[in-house]
Amino acid sequence: MSNPFTLNGGACLAMAGKDCVAIACDLRLGQQALTLSNNFPKVFNYGDVFLGLTGLATDVQTMHSLFRYKVNLYRLREEREIEPETMANLVSSTLYERRFGPYFVSPVVAGINQRTGKPFICGFDSIGCIDFAKDFIVSGTASDQLFGVAEGLWEPDLEPEDLFETVSQTLLNSLDRDALAGWGAHVYIITKDKVTKRLLKSRQD
Amino acid sequence: MNQFPHGWGRPRDDVYGAYDSSYLNSTEPVSHTQRPIVTGTSVLGVKFNGGVIIAADNIASYGSLARYDNVERLLQVGTHTVVGAGGDISDMQYLHLLLDNLLIKEQYPADDHALLAPQVHTYISRVLYQRRNKFDPLWNSILTAGADPKTSEPFLSYVDLRGTTYTAPALATGYGAHLAVPILRRHVPDEEACASLSQEDAEKLVEECMKVLWYRDARSGVKYSWAVVTKDGVTTGNNKIENQSWKFAEMIKGYGAQNV
Amino acid sequence: MASQYMLPHVQQPPSFHSTASQPRQHQWSPYTENGGVILGIAGKDYVIIAGDTRSSEGYSINTRTARKIFDVGSGIVLGVVGMSADGEELARKVARRIDDYKRNHDKHITVNAAAVMLSRILYAKRFFPYYCQPLLGGLDEDGVGAIYTYDYVGSFEREASRAFGAAASLITPFLDNQINLKNQFVPGTNGDEPRKPGDLPMDRVEKIVKDAFTSAVERHIEVGDGLQLVRVTRPPPREAMEDEEEVDEREKTAGGGVLTEVMSELKKD
Repeated sequence: MSNPFTLNGGACLAMAGKDCVAIACDLRLGQQALTLSNNFPKVFNYGDVFLGLTGLATDVQTMHSLFRYKVNLYRLREEREIEPETMANLVSSTLYERRFGPYFVSPVVAGINQRTGKPFICGFDSIGCIDFAKDFIVSGTASDQLFGVAEGLWEPDLEPEDLFETVSQTLLNSLDRDALAGWGAHVYIITKDKVTKRLLKSRQD
Repeated sequence: MNQFPHGWGRPRDDVYGAYDSSYLNSTEPVSHTQRPIVTGTSVLGVKFNGGVIIAADNIASYGSLARYDNVERLLQVGTHTVVGAGGDISDMQYLHLLLDNLLIKEQYPADDHALLAPQVHTYISRVLYQRRNKFDPLWNSILTAGADPKTSEPFLSYVDLRGTTYTAPALATGYGAHLAVPILRRHVPDEEACASLSQEDAEKLVEECMKVLWYRDARSGVKYSWAVVTKDGVTTGNNKIENQSWKFAEMIKGYGAQNV
Repeated sequence: MASQYMLPHVQQPPSFHSTASQPRQHQWSPYTENGGVILGIAGKDYVIIAGDTRSSEGYSINTRTARKIFDVGSGIVLGVVGMSADGEELARKVARRIDDYKRNHDKHITVNAAAVMLSRILYAKRFFPYYCQPLLGGLDEDGVGAIYTYDYVGSFEREASRAFGAAASLITPFLDNQINLKNQFVPGTNGDEPRKPGDLPMDRVEKIVKDAFTSAVERHIEVGDGLQLVRVTRPPPREAMEDEEEVDEREKTAGGGVLTEVMSELKKD
């Protein structure tokens, strides 16, 4: 119970490719070592923008509804979809509003800017500091493992299918070395005009 | 004749009285060094082409009090080795005693064999490691500097109270590790750089570092001792940091004395 | 007595006394951590043990040229990470015991015998452990690569590959994937037939090892500066060697395998 970030377990990973991005997460929900559910996705989308949320499960759900609400209002006011860069700033300011009583989450944003066609990924700490990366972003209880594998497998300008393989291998091999994450995974491959969602079969232990 | 073997070779009770074993059952706890008392601060060392230079200031502090201002923290061991110690001064002096005894024990003038810096360093590191295993550490960080009398190969290595040892082109103990080593590494990043560093430049470099330490290490002093070891042996000397000035502080807003 | 001194990684925060006037005493610890990472991979007829050469304490880099892999004699290598003073002491002790064995029995110790011996050496200090994770490598009696891995107090296991140290959590899943081919399947089998590990050639493994280290260097501050890679391979066959004396000398000094060491650079920031 002492660390809210590792209570429920879970992992998330985003990678940038050539005119494409990918974001993926595991499906486990647990309480310490006990697994409660193997159908708890941590990647959500708001229009064209994707948000991965790892950390305390209650905060994951709260933040998801909060952003659905905020992005809906944005859509009504602006009469257009939110772009990933804007989403990043929205996430950041929302987290910083709770500077001294933070949501225990480590969000990841991924998407393609519909105006410029530029791939965009970024990550945050729990109080909204943005980490803009041109390669990959990791978060969750398997972040050490994800850093190690992603640093070894990622290369620039991957085509969508190669990016899918890289993301999936990175995620699966990292999950297998983390007792708090795993039990299946969701992978989204995002290009300017298409999103592919795949469910990965993985070890169930 | 006493038929009990345990009594053989012992003072006879009927002659000398029963053995007084009271000291064995002392209720006093055995006291170990839990913290250093009178301390010396950094020691610096740099390898250069054909030798090595080592320096340490002459202050011995009692907490924040500069208790003694004329303490020699460099010790020449044999002909081609100098040992510099930071940390507890009494432990340093005990180590000096051990080294003096070691030198006497290992002195065989006839066989042309002498203890050199690597052997001295290994000896010190074994003493310190054994003492940490006894939970009674010698509270020091020590640099051993030397040069091979035949090849002039310089030697410089570090050992501390846990027996941790390492070697590098430039080393410093205590605050020197934070303040002097970055400066030293700019000049000697690796062994090749040492080979192209002259003795004069090395001396200037150490002088510069001792000055930086004087500025920023509150436990340091103006006077320091240095020693240079080459294949010809040890040269020692004393130096005083001069031309100090805090004038640069005036240029920085909110730092030095300002008239605004 | 020793057990009250905790290993650095399980040290607890200082307890606060109820009386404010009571002084809190600083407790000296005989342990420290010097960072770094090592890994070992066993192949069909070779063993590779590699480690970085950075030695640090806290945020300070002590030296950029510290070796963590030791030749302990009889064609056996020992890699150690953790507290370098304990690691070097352990390597000295193992080397000494392997030398004793050779003198007492007039033959080289086998890796599996050395592995058991190392376990006993570690367990002998059960209540004041060596704070280091050792990894023993060599060729077994059939000339097959063997890696033995240990915990602090001597429980051990023979494995095909293992990473130990500061960045072990980063390197381990990468090795799972690239060496043991985990989560990889034979193309065209629709994920039914897993790829079989175990027949990677040595040069390919060395490339993977270098990749693993350059990745770890990017993301872990305690890893970097240089890479020390030690290979244990079978000695060349007798007829390939010209000098008969050289053959004898080689077999005397090498035991089961021949050691070669390769040093290379890693990023220094």
